[in-house]
Amino acid sequence: MKRVLGIILVLLAVGSLAFAQAQAETVDDGKVKLSMFHYLDLTDPVATANWDILLSTFEATYPEIELEIEYGFNEPYHDKLQAMAIANQLPDIMFLWPGKRTGMVTSAGKAKDLSPWLEGKLDGFSPTAVAAQGPNGEIFELPEQVTATHVMYTNEKLMAELGLTLPKTLDEMVAQGDVIRAAGYTPIAMTNGDGWQMQSCFLSALIDRTGGRKWMDSALAGDVSFADDEFINALNVIDVLAKNDMFSAGINTLNYGSALTEFVTGKAVYYIDGGWRVNNLNGELPADMVDYVTLNVFPSVPMENGQAASTAAVAGTGHGMNANLSDAEADAAFKWIWFYSGPVGSAIRQSFGALPAYKIPMPNDIDPLTVKLSEFVNNTPSGYVIDAVMDGEGMGVLHPALQELIFGTKTPEEVGAEYEAWVAANER
Amino acid sequence: MTFHTSKKAYYAAFIGPAVFIYACIIIFPVLYSLGLSFFNWNGYEKMEFVKLANYVRMFKDDVFLLGLRNNLLIVAVSIFGQLPLGFILAYILYRKMVKAQSFFESMIFLPITISAIVVAILWAQIFAPTGLYTTLIQRLTDNPRYIMAVAQDKQLAILPILFVVLWMYTGMYMVIFLASMQKISPSVIESAIIDGASEFQILMKIVAPSMSNILFTTAVFAIAGSLKSFDLIFAMTSGGPAHYTEVIAIYMYTNTFKYYNYGFGSAVSIVIVALSMGLITIAQKVYGFFEKKYE
Repeated sequence: MKRVLGIILVLLAVGSLAFAQAQAETVDDGKVKLSMFHYLDLTDPVATANWDILLSTFEATYPEIELEIEYGFNEPYHDKLQAMAIANQLPDIMFLWPGKRTGMVTSAGKAKDLSPWLEGKLDGFSPTAVAAQGPNGEIFELPEQVTATHVMYTNEKLMAELGLTLPKTLDEMVAQGDVIRAAGYTPIAMTNGDGWQMQSCFLSALIDRTGGRKWMDSALAGDVSFADDEFINALNVIDVLAKNDMFSAGINTLNYGSALTEFVTGKAVYYIDGGWRVNNLNGELPADMVDYVTLNVFPSVPMENGQAASTAAVAGTGHGMNANLSDAEADAAFKWIWFYSGPVGSAIRQSFGALPAYKIPMPNDIDPLTVKLSEFVNNTPSGYVIDAVMDGEGMGVLHPALQELIFGTKTPEEVGAEYEAWVAANER
Repeated sequence: MTFHTSKKAYYAAFIGPAVFIYACIIIFPVLYSLGLSFFNWNGYEKMEFVKLANYVRMFKDDVFLLGLRNNLLIVAVSIFGQLPLGFILAYILYRKMVKAQSFFESMIFLPITISAIVVAILWAQIFAPTGLYTTLIQRLTDNPRYIMAVAQDKQLAILPILFVVLWMYTGMYMVIFLASMQKISPSVIESAIIDGASEFQILMKIVAPSMSNILFTTAVFAIAGSLKSFDLIFAMTSGGPAHYTEVIAIYMYTNTFKYYNYGFGSAVSIVIVALSMGLITIAQKVYGFFEKKYE
């Protein structure tokens, strides 16, 4: 009896396996299935509408490729990507940064070099966008856009109402603070609750003013120090603004997005954030306000030894592929990557306000702010974005130190010395 | 096979799988963590033996010490806030000192039935610079730049979290105490009342002594739970701003999973376990002292 039962169980198990196998073949028949981890704020109506069109267009163009997509945004995206990288469970396609932000994937050899697929295609891109991302000239992700991380959006109408003009210097900017606050507005809308905003969207541009790219190269090499005057002078600007109550109230506890709301609702004269915010502004600004919002850089600061009137820019983010993909899977993955950052996807994203890295003519019906961003990027010199060239763990030292600088519990010299100590011990 | 050997075989058969699973998911990871805490390891490169360097670095790090202070404050709020408050609320309901006991019981217990993440988002929205509390004060004082100063202060930023911890978990202890009080025979209380005992005497001489076991058990829960506090605080502040609301579980998470310092993260986790065991041992001693006193 036992033997009969045993045989029945074995037959059932084998039968189930065979059935499961047959079913898998049916599902996979003729289609390449690819998993993707994409960076998207699902609560952002503009970004999701843009994404839906991209996906439906891709599905119609490449019916033989099936994408299984998982989404993440902000720190949770990076946390999960890191966990996936450590566990060797990376998806087939993932959203990557050109610098050290996703270095746990790119520097660890876990992303495929896209160069072989890009032969003859790079001329179509802005040169800044397709600079080498690896030590041997590798390109691990195909940038969707060139990103200016510092833009000072200005509400010209509000400024005129208050009798102000665009300040030319830090002192002029600070002097406007009393007028703006007395009228019940915020001088500079900005958030720093997550810590990276002050570094990426402001300090990076300031260090390009006070030091410049060459100084930053020397700092990376260890020839100069982050405790030196150039870095301290940049920190001093933040210190002066914080002490003069120029930022959004409670800036260090404000979540990313609050400042955008403050600006869009006409409660702030200036708004410092990245160029990528044009996408949101296109969708959220009242129609009349679009005309009187201008894109500028922060005014000139004391002790400028670097580039004047500069922003900070980095080759944009984009999709890369898992290093372990087979040839067929890699070809399919590249179809998506090229679709997203190449001419077709770029045109779709451009229609939503993005400034693509791929050079395509700007249509006549494009949003006015996108035109302004294009002019801003083309006409504004740029420096490094600190977290694109420095180690992520060091940002864990710099970001809280910047928050303390704003609280007034640390001086610029203390912040510089603390960061230098970490860099000297761990990064050089 | 003798009776004894067959009995042992049955024991092994029944208990063995559970012991094996326990060893796999508890004992082995703890021992592995202990071993790992003496190494530098980023998850993919070669491990480097560093002796006690991770522990030395940890106790020299201001962020860890601030996190430890915050954790001990949470333990203190749990032991000296949640437990006494839960006990008093349970006693009020048990002695029917208020009407609509079922309503109050449900209301006080309600927070623990909500996900910690939801609770965190709810309170973060209330305390945020653009949140309910701040906006209300801004309107009342006609000061659009008012912000809650507590959240900006290194020493006090943890206070809103302590309040939420107290609000959230007191109900759980209240229900545990109430269930335990309801096991006390009503005739004992009635006899005490007939003998002229005051409410305070009933509480201290009858109810409290019969609850010593459950008080100890809840104290162990409170200590262990407080030291591994993570979800609520991570969702509410992520330890910020500037590490002001850091706790050691977030410190461990950041170092381990954000910066790939697996050895260092393991050392932090071992300190959490050691602290937990140390505090539970103290609770056990206190329990032993009171148990002897009431015998």
